[in-house]
Amino acid sequence: MSFYPFGGGSSGGGSSQQQAVNAQNVAMAENELEMITDTFYRIVDSCYKKCIPPKYIEGELNKGESVCIDRCVAKYFEVNTKVGEALQKRGQQAGVGGAVTGFGA
Amino acid sequence: MYNDAEKQQIQKIIEQKQMRDFLKFYTNLIERCFNDCINDFTSKALTSKEETCIGRCTDKFLKHNERVGQRFGELNQQLMQQQQQAQQSQPQQSSGRWF
Repeated sequence: MSFYPFGGGSSGGGSSQQQAVNAQNVAMAENELEMITDTFYRIVDSCYKKCIPPKYIEGELNKGESVCIDRCVAKYFEVNTKVGEALQKRGQQAGVGGAVTGFGA
Repeated sequence: MYNDAEKQQIQKIIEQKQMRDFLKFYTNLIERCFNDCINDFTSKALTSKEETCIGRCTDKFLKHNERVGQRFGELNQQLMQQQQQAQQSQPQQSSGRWF
C-alpha cells in the first residue's frame, strides 16, 4: 500500500523513508546484539553457580555474595578478552585457511 | 553508522528480542527455583518451607541479575572506551592527542 515512487515503503513510523536499508548492516547489528546478550546470560548463569549457594536462608544478597559477583563478572570479561586475543593470534598463525573464520584484524 | 531506516529496523529487532528474552528469563527462573527448592513429594501441595524458599530464591536471583547487569554495563562501557582509544591511536594523524 505504498505510494512512494521509489518502491518499498516502510510500514511503521510516518516519516517519509527514502533511505535504503542495507540488510547486511542490520544483520551485523543483530549479530552483535545476539552476542552481547548471550554473553550476559552466560555470565548471569555462571556467576550464580559459582557465587550463590542454593541455601536461600534469605532473599537478599549478603556481602560475600555481592563481592563474589563483582569479581566474577570482572574475571569473565578478562577471560573474554584473553580468549579473543588467543583466537586472533591462532588465526594469524594459521593464515587464511585457519580453522576459525571471520576473526579479522 | 546506521541511517534512520536501519535504526528503525534495528530498534524493532531489539524490542522483539527483549520480549522473547523476558519470557525465557521468566521460565528459566521458575525452573531454577523449582530445582533448588522443591524436593518433598509426600504431597501435591507446597510445604510452607518450600513456599518460603521459592520467595527467597526469586528475590535472590532477581537481585543477582540486577547486580550482574550493573557490573556488566560498567565493564562493557570501559571496554568500548578502551577499544575506541586503541582505534584512535592507530592512524598517525596530526590531530592525535598524546598525554
